[in-house]
Amino acid sequence: MKLDLEQLHKLIQAHLDQRLSDQEYEMLQTCLEEDPDARASYVKLARLDSLLHDSSAAAEVDAVDFTPVSRKASGFKWWAMAAAAIAILLSLTVLLKTQSSSEYQGVPRQVAARGVAVITAEAEAVWEREQLTVGVALEPGRLVLRQGLAQIDFFGGASISLSGPAELELVNKDAAILRRGKLKADVPPAARGFEVRSSDVLLEDLGTSFGLSVGEDRKTDLIVFDGEVRATGKNGKPLLLFGGDSARLESGSAIPQSAGNVDGIPDISDVIAGSSNREELRYAAWKEASLERRRDPRLIAYYDFENLTAATRRLRNRGLHGDGSELDGGIVGARVAEGRWRNKTALDFRAEGDRVRFDIPGEWDALTLYAWVRIDALDRHLNSLFLTDYFDENEIHWQLSHSGHLHFAASPMGVVDIPKHNRRYLSEEFWDPSRSGQWLFLAVTAEKGVGKVKHYVNGEVLPIAGGTQRHKPLPAMRIGEADLGNWSDPIWENVIRTLNGRIDEFAIYGVALDAKEIAGIYEEGRL
Amino acid sequence: MPSHSSENTEELFIELFTQYERHIRAFVRSTGLDWAAVDDVVQTVSLVMWRKWDQFDPETEFMNWARVIARFEVLKFRRTMGRDRHVFHGDLMKLLADASEEGEEKVSSEQYLVCLQACLDQLPAKSRELIRASYQGDKSIKEVATDLGKSATALYKALDRIRTQLQGCIEGRLNAS
Repeated sequence: MKLDLEQLHKLIQAHLDQRLSDQEYEMLQTCLEEDPDARASYVKLARLDSLLHDSSAAAEVDAVDFTPVSRKASGFKWWAMAAAAIAILLSLTVLLKTQSSSEYQGVPRQVAARGVAVITAEAEAVWEREQLTVGVALEPGRLVLRQGLAQIDFFGGASISLSGPAELELVNKDAAILRRGKLKADVPPAARGFEVRSSDVLLEDLGTSFGLSVGEDRKTDLIVFDGEVRATGKNGKPLLLFGGDSARLESGSAIPQSAGNVDGIPDISDVIAGSSNREELRYAAWKEASLERRRDPRLIAYYDFENLTAATRRLRNRGLHGDGSELDGGIVGARVAEGRWRNKTALDFRAEGDRVRFDIPGEWDALTLYAWVRIDALDRHLNSLFLTDYFDENEIHWQLSHSGHLHFAASPMGVVDIPKHNRRYLSEEFWDPSRSGQWLFLAVTAEKGVGKVKHYVNGEVLPIAGGTQRHKPLPAMRIGEADLGNWSDPIWENVIRTLNGRIDEFAIYGVALDAKEIAGIYEEGRL
Repeated sequence: MPSHSSENTEELFIELFTQYERHIRAFVRSTGLDWAAVDDVVQTVSLVMWRKWDQFDPETEFMNWARVIARFEVLKFRRTMGRDRHVFHGDLMKLLADASEEGEEKVSSEQYLVCLQACLDQLPAKSRELIRASYQGDKSIKEVATDLGKSATALYKALDRIRTQLQGCIEGRLNAS
């Protein structure tokens, strides 16, 4: 049923006033069921009606006052009574126990983890899909390695080295199809049963390692290095091969051949050796850029997380200008771990106590924060990147939400009346568990005033997608005592915002860097 | 049970609840319930929110949290009502709650009030007085109509016109901002 807008508005308002006839009511109900626009009109008029109804009656004729007051019919009188009654109610709990607490948790975001494998090392690898790199979780589907070597770990426990050009189809965490190219599979006992298929044979690993080569002409060779492999051709007849055996797979059956016919099977050690070269080059390039960066007079503080050992308790401020070691951080709990490159050190944040403590006095009209972060999981409702203690006036909070937004906030009133004053800037969602374990370059620039906060991921601006009070100006910002990777003195005793992941570089500038500079820093530090 | 260390948390709850109560009521009202039902539901909502207060993270949206709880309570309340006169069935209430959430996500409560205030200010004095008398006085619509020397029907007609006008004004302002 479609009513014209005027008719519809009349019916809605009459329903709100409870003066509809039965027939009109049926008409309205049908219309609302069928037409989403009608429902939108209903909720709008109901909202208006409700707010008019609930606004102050104390006002003069000409001024409807919109400050909250206790209302006559409902409102705070009953609230006061209810508060008194709460103790009794809660001790009875009869009424409320019927509701399971989980019903109010909201719907947790369930990201279906679709990954089946992960790229763990590369050497000169060129992928058809450019975004593929070490740490990227791979979903089932086709994977093309144009050249180079790569190591791929399947979630089921098997690991393969792939030599390009190669085309591999990932089936699930325990199976893949090699269409073209060469691979070597290493299968630990826990992953026994790992399957690799070529166009006409199924290989089931019963032992530890084998190599497979599929040529352009689909000529397929198999070699078993160690253990036992069962090769089943289309004819359904399995052939068992043992360490040192080799077979040519042809027209659906496996024919034994001399192992000397198979060569060029990549080994994981080749991948590692190759990747080390590349890693060393990238690491050296970053190091050079980093030494240059510390000279930048716009830096408030710069932490390169280099040369950390288990005994290191102090995270050195490497900025050459400014307050030097006064701004060193104190490492609490967080453990030394591998950073973006094998020889680079990082801090691993995991336990509730893990953090780096800072005291950075001052007030700034503009700030830039950036960090290289490996997020393992966003476990908490909010997950700390850099949080000032408590949330006093004008102090900043930089963190990640459970659903994968970057979140920057400062409030001129601190925690007083937070919803009314807190300027919050949420980026679009950028993280989901498929990015778990990847090193990411996260940055935020903020300037005093309205609408001057920008979030960045990997050198690119991430649009603002939400927040509160963004139409109000951001105040000049303060840091003071603060935590990297955690939150000290939280507003709420039971709120935990520990980061689950690693950080291996962190910088604070007293200016807002522009997009080009941010992109440049990313390029210099990327893997 | 609320068990925070901060001494002001009860105060904060009361403060936030007071601030947002109107909006929670508006949300509940938008599912088609009458005022008596709105009062009942919102009262339960406040109790549940208070009981779960320690689960609220003050840096997140109070209203979002309130809506999750209010939606649940509305539907639970509906199930206990049976076939009351002119109360929408549960599925339609869900759809209306969806529409309401969608609308409120786009427009914050504060923004809405600012626009509403501005639009009220723009009304001719006579219309404004009519709204005030109808919504904010102690009198019933019938009494207000009698005072004005009008029939109730005529008063409703005038109210319909003013509310539609207000609605248009608010939407215009929201779109402009």
